[in-house]
Amino acid sequence: MSHLRRSHFCGSPMHALDRRGFLGLAAGAAAFAADMTQLNVLQHPLLAGEMKKQQKRCILLWLAGGASQLETWDPKPGASTGGPFRAIPTSVPGIHISELMPEMAKRMKHTCIVRSLNTRNGDHGGAAQLMMRGRRDEANLKYPDLGAVLARELGQADSQVPDYVSFYFATEGRGSAPGSAGFLGSRYAPMELYTSMIPENIRRLDGIDDLDHKQRGELRDSLSKQFAKGRVSSSLGSHGEAYQRVRGLMASEKLFDVSREPQKIREKYGPTLFGEQALAARRLIEAGVPFVRVGRAWWDSHGENFETHRELVPELDHVMAALLDDLEQRGLLENTLVITLSEFGRTPGINASLGRDHFASAWSATLSGCGIQGGSVHGKTDAKGERVADGEVGAAELFATIYRALGINHQKNYHVGSRPVPLTDPGTKPIKALLA
Amino acid sequence: MKTIKEISSNGFAFTLARVPGSQRVLFGGADFKVYDVDFSAAKPEAKALGEHKSYVTGLALSGKIAVSGSYDGRLLWWDIDARKSIRAVDAHAKWIRKVAVSPDGKTIASVADDMVCRLWSVADGKLLHELRGHEEKTPHHYPSMLFACAFSPDGRCVATADKVGHIVVWDAVGGKSVKTLEAPGMYTWDPVQRKHSIGGIRSLAFSPDGKYVAVGGIGKIGNIDHLDGKARIEIFDWKKGEKAIEFEDDKFKGLIEHLAFQPKGDWLLGGGGANDGFFLFFDLKSKKATRHEKAAMHVRAFVLDEKVETIYAAGHGKIQVLEAKG
Repeated sequence: MSHLRRSHFCGSPMHALDRRGFLGLAAGAAAFAADMTQLNVLQHPLLAGEMKKQQKRCILLWLAGGASQLETWDPKPGASTGGPFRAIPTSVPGIHISELMPEMAKRMKHTCIVRSLNTRNGDHGGAAQLMMRGRRDEANLKYPDLGAVLARELGQADSQVPDYVSFYFATEGRGSAPGSAGFLGSRYAPMELYTSMIPENIRRLDGIDDLDHKQRGELRDSLSKQFAKGRVSSSLGSHGEAYQRVRGLMASEKLFDVSREPQKIREKYGPTLFGEQALAARRLIEAGVPFVRVGRAWWDSHGENFETHRELVPELDHVMAALLDDLEQRGLLENTLVITLSEFGRTPGINASLGRDHFASAWSATLSGCGIQGGSVHGKTDAKGERVADGEVGAAELFATIYRALGINHQKNYHVGSRPVPLTDPGTKPIKALLA
Repeated sequence: MKTIKEISSNGFAFTLARVPGSQRVLFGGADFKVYDVDFSAAKPEAKALGEHKSYVTGLALSGKIAVSGSYDGRLLWWDIDARKSIRAVDAHAKWIRKVAVSPDGKTIASVADDMVCRLWSVADGKLLHELRGHEEKTPHHYPSMLFACAFSPDGRCVATADKVGHIVVWDAVGGKSVKTLEAPGMYTWDPVQRKHSIGGIRSLAFSPDGKYVAVGGIGKIGNIDHLDGKARIEIFDWKKGEKAIEFEDDKFKGLIEHLAFQPKGDWLLGGGGANDGFFLFFDLKSKKATRHEKAAMHVRAFVLDEKVETIYAAGHGKIQVLEAKG
């Protein structure tokens, strides 16, 4: 892979100027901003304001196993496929969603529903990879997933915080969609949390003092540089960068600790693990982490679909609404894109176990916040939800839209060796009507 | 188990009631309608009495009056001879899961996901009691569900049971809780693999002598997506507050959706299923399943006739008349 020049701008001159101004301001407040992991950095109004203006971020609420579009964003009440739930009006005239989502119904102005995904893959593993990466891997080329791309595009080179954090505590489906930096290398690999809200092994060992730890790092760096002399390898560079960030990451532990939040805020997110992880995600992006995935498994409702969604959708509704409110109140929503996405949706047909099976032909995702025309719906399914009736899009178009919403040129090329590799496949178009 | 007659239920049938001494059956299900069908006819045909606005999940008969309950939260009174609805009551704020009638036919009990059991006068639809003793949230902070209810044979008590295995026996006259029982094995929360639950106590019955309360559901689930857990029954000597029997079947997997005691109280019949369905005969003396019968559908509700020779069953796709002998 050729040299990867990091860019943190959407490309507009105004953005670049603003960032220079921001950096000047940051330099002036160097003592204050010495530790970017301190959440109270945002209490400095000018610095906080600029940070909020400049940096775009993304939180992916990953509904692993496949949430049903009919019980969430694309209800079909009264149809033979509709199931028992009613549709309710939202704050946007003409848009109805499932009665299981009354809180999101009140906040529809922030959200765009994409109801016309046809992603053609109903296998958990393959579909999860597709919807995490926006396309299929090639035999000799492993693509980075959304988190890795956004870590690279939106992360700060000198950042003291992780660029890509992923929470996924349930064991089911975890192996289907592991975070993957693909050809971008380990520098952009996720910090994956499986069992503990706070990263394990992040602290310096008790037997090593700070000076010793620094010196060990310097020795490792020196040896690496000697080894790298005369060698050209993107892997070596990426590996070295990852090590250079270790001390910053070690200092970021407190960002994961939701007990530092006021009780009032914690109560808004609720007591479930999903709620706590969404709150941690907000803390992380507020401190500059560009991408956080919150994995909520397991939606795979082959049996008792309606009981499953009766249990899980109210949680999604509550947590997503709390997250959007919190981001808005902090002035972060306009620069934070919140996505709900699964590997696929669920069949309109109801099976003999009152379940719905895997279905990738006509299902839904949502985009809220940054760069998005909230209060809108793209696409339409037919009366029974069996086919896309209008506005069909696939994973590529969805990803192009996500990139564009975040100010990233979806046609931008990376280079793997001498081969240019665009962010999305050539010819892919974003859904322009959804972009603010 | 031999099938005597069978008709399509127009989708999923969840509830069924039989007019005593006859082959006339009422049922309701996922097409929102309440039907009746007379199996004494050469070609039995289901005819709709009317409909709810969502799934029909409870039916109880008192003479010529039927009361149906639905996920729309309403109870509808039907004159089954005139074949028309005669009263509608907005009974619950959430899904009604079950409806039961007292042995004297004067009182209807309804349970719903608002976690309240309400007792109603059959004669005039008046609310008699609100019975509140089930938590709205599970220990893991998700919505709970109040799935089951049944009257004791003397009509003095009504029992209710929920998703987390909490059972309450109520004084049906005074409207007070008289005993609480716990069957936590019925709560199938999966804390590791999938972090959700779909079990709960789905069925409940008093023994003919009123001494025991039996509850049915599913045991620990291996694959929660496919109801891959053993059919489970627990029986309590409820006045003593003691669990008398805890049973998980080695042959059948799935939910026990309906339970009924043999009139003499020697055995208990459970019906239910997962992808497919079953009937399970459980002997109370030996505390063993003595007979396993595969059903042609996931069984949601059934009624034994007076001679215990025939079973009328409703389930996923069918209404069946089955020979109970064997």
